Amino acid sequence: MESSDNVYSLYKCRLLRVYSLTDEEKLFLLRFEDSDIAESWSFIPGQFVQVALPGVGEVPISICSSPMRRGFFELCIKKVGKVTSMIHKLQPGDCVGIRGPYGNGFPMDEFEHSDILLIAAGIGMVPLRSVFMYAVDNRWKFGNITVINSARYGDKLLFRKELEAMRDIAEAENIKIIQTVTRDPEWPGRVGRAQEHIKDANTDPKNSCVAVCGPPQAYRSIFEKLIEAGYDPNKIYVTLERRMKCGVGKCGHCIAGSSTFLKYICIDGPVFGYYDIISTPGLI
Amino acid sequence: MRYLKLGSRNIDEFLGRISNYGDLYAPQKISEKFYDYRKVEDISQVEFNYNRTITPAKKYFIPPKHEMFEFDMETGEYTETMGDVKPFVLFGLHACSIVALRILDGVYLNEYPDKYYAARRKAGIIIGISCLPDEYCFCNLRRTDFVDIGFDLFLHELPDGYLIRVGSERGHEIVDENMDIFEEVSNDDIENFKKFEKKRHEMFKYEGSFDNLRYILELTENSPLWDEESEKCLGCGNCTMTCPTCRCYDVQDLPDIDGKHGKRIRFWDSCQFRSHGLVAGGHNFRETKKDRFINRYVCKNAYFYPLGTSYCVGCGNCTYFCPAGIDFLKNLIKIRDVVGEVAHGEQ
Amino acid sequence: MKIGIHGLTSCYGCQLSMAVVKRILDVSEKFDIKYFYMLSSAGKIEHVDVAFVEGSVSTDEDEKELRMIRENADVLVAIGSCAIHGGVQSILFSEGIGYEEAFKTVYGDKKMDYNGRIAQPLDKFVKVDYRLPGCPPEEEEIMYYLATFAIGSWPEEKDYPVCAECRRAGNPCILIEKGEPCLGPVTVAGCDARCIKYGIPCIGCRGPVSDVSWFDSLAMSFRDRGMDKEYVKKRMAIFASRYEGLNEMIDKIYGD
Repeated sequence: MESSDNVYSLYKCRLLRVYSLTDEEKLFLLRFEDSDIAESWSFIPGQFVQVALPGVGEVPISICSSPMRRGFFELCIKKVGKVTSMIHKLQPGDCVGIRGPYGNGFPMDEFEHSDILLIAAGIGMVPLRSVFMYAVDNRWKFGNITVINSARYGDKLLFRKELEAMRDIAEAENIKIIQTVTRDPEWPGRVGRAQEHIKDANTDPKNSCVAVCGPPQAYRSIFEKLIEAGYDPNKIYVTLERRMKCGVGKCGHCIAGSSTFLKYICIDGPVFGYYDIISTPGLI
Repeated sequence: MRYLKLGSRNIDEFLGRISNYGDLYAPQKISEKFYDYRKVEDISQVEFNYNRTITPAKKYFIPPKHEMFEFDMETGEYTETMGDVKPFVLFGLHACSIVALRILDGVYLNEYPDKYYAARRKAGIIIGISCLPDEYCFCNLRRTDFVDIGFDLFLHELPDGYLIRVGSERGHEIVDENMDIFEEVSNDDIENFKKFEKKRHEMFKYEGSFDNLRYILELTENSPLWDEESEKCLGCGNCTMTCPTCRCYDVQDLPDIDGKHGKRIRFWDSCQFRSHGLVAGGHNFRETKKDRFINRYVCKNAYFYPLGTSYCVGCGNCTYFCPAGIDFLKNLIKIRDVVGEVAHGEQ
Repeated sequence: MKIGIHGLTSCYGCQLSMAVVKRILDVSEKFDIKYFYMLSSAGKIEHVDVAFVEGSVSTDEDEKELRMIRENADVLVAIGSCAIHGGVQSILFSEGIGYEEAFKTVYGDKKMDYNGRIAQPLDKFVKVDYRLPGCPPEEEEIMYYLATFAIGSWPEEKDYPVCAECRRAGNPCILIEKGEPCLGPVTVAGCDARCIKYGIPCIGCRGPVSDVSWFDSLAMSFRDRGMDKEYVKKRMAIFASRYEGLNEMIDKIYGD
């Protein structure tokens, strides 16, 4: 990124495309106005950026595209608050301010040469899509891949169509895509929570890295099922969400954990390992 | 380390000289019982013997409320508005306050240095002063009652002046440029320094160690103490605002009525406020008053590893300035000690 | 953007505050002001983007007017302590005095051409989208609220007490130091602790902090400083008589 001595400086990004994914989520394709930044800017799957609209505010948003695709990046944004509501009103051609990327991201080097199991519940698919796309872009580095994408209703499954469209290629590439819903009687496909489909993954529990993202209350039961199925707890990672104002370990809103393990989610996370989670009250 | 003596007769002169290095701020009596750092207009107002200030020294480095940027809503340009920070002299910090600033350094000058903090920190000359504890102080338990670094000069009280420790290059320069008001340290001064230190140690109400406290705290999250004490809490945030290491801030965009301009400001926030852990969509990571109450105990007793000390420096401000009379230290001791036994180390 | 500025039963101080903002010309340029009763009686209630409503519901007519305002507004903002909490005039509520009794005490056997009632805040009748507190609101906050609406956004309400601003301002705490009956810990911030700065304890005029005003804890603190129940109850009720559970919180500390 262009050098600025102010870590809170924002860099202008133009929206190239805007897609509606569900009634609440939109996918934005962005490019830095400064072409040097646009071409050199990179990130690790699991990292996030601060998105700013002058006059409205700033919010942390996970990047959901693959870092292999230079020149642009994608953000999937759910309309929930003041800033995201205003972002949803934007059209291609409009600009936002971006700073980052921030956070540790998933340890992709460690994921290499292993099978990858991605488990997403609801909006949890957003950061995991980045991992998935990265793995697809570097297909030769990884073993078998399974994505379990879950939501309450079929029309709430994020990236549902994209994942469906990939099915044929996926099969040829040893990638298994499982999409499941919990409350939709109309849904023709799989039903039940994400963890109930772990047994159908094409990944070898003895040689897999697992990335999980979903609502905090889902984690314990996902962990149980994973360990029951023989996955190595040391190779289970989750990514967490908090309120953040700075993204750089200052403002304190994302501080979580306990007195022996106090962490700024923004710089020490948002990705944490299984043992960090189970030994630290307050992280999830 | 370099040591010098400042004789009583030269104290006013010393204050005058240091104010040549920038605007001078020092503890002053602001009301019947309270002290606070204020700009020194009259050196006779400088208070050498005070226990604590109602606003911690952090206010000079992280102002309670300040502007970060001005922005143009039409072009999306953000312009940084902090001008040059003029040099200033902060006189009269106690050891715990200096450790507190070093903790803030660790946070604000990490791999993402905060420019607003860094500029003020660079501009500030820090002059420490020795103190005697009152019943609220427990810096000894936090091992922050004596500082090795983090100051330019540190003054230790003697019966006839101050023994000065020089703690930085800037400190050496100040001393070198004003040698005429300093003397060499005599054997008597050394004995008096030792006497003062002994007296200081003897005055602490509690002794022992708090090093294992963070583990005990973690193990006792279900203690009924948290219900009882949080019940008294007003959620007013006085504890965090007066804490020298509490550093949470909030950011707000203030658009102008013209719809074209505006500014981004930041101001002190507190984990005791409901919105602190609230995310868009309504989930709150610290939903109840009790959650927020415990959060402060957890956060303050966690270790700041670069310094090997807890985020709490034992200054006693949160207890002294609590309108509900909640005693932070007593609660920690209750948590630490064996149920049913008399408080360990109480004198 | 169309706005309306309305007043139910109140002193009209909030409307006055809105009328005298320094940049009233910018406001009138930015907004199409459809209704501003204090400035002109010519306006009629019609559809607006944002309606600002001052005052409490103290008559049947107030209720009728409020419902009409709500039906015609996309966003409704309660302005000031009367609209948000019922105001000083609702104090009778916490004292358990009925309207008939109060009327008789003040007016004797006189007849009025309206049907009065003990004052109530707007949210007892209609959905309130945002609250702009104050008695009256501060100019800075009025401008902030207006500016956020003007850009299609909305204001962030303060959820913390006066104490925070008092400490940021570097004031001595008069509750701790002098045992003054300061309501700063339970009163919503925004005034920069103006009264305390002059040594006057907060009377709570901006109203309680929504959902997180711990009157019980403050009553305990007052009790421990020797204040009696009647005094504490009266003081707390001035601006907070309609605050959910106020009497219970005080009773819990002092006993019934």
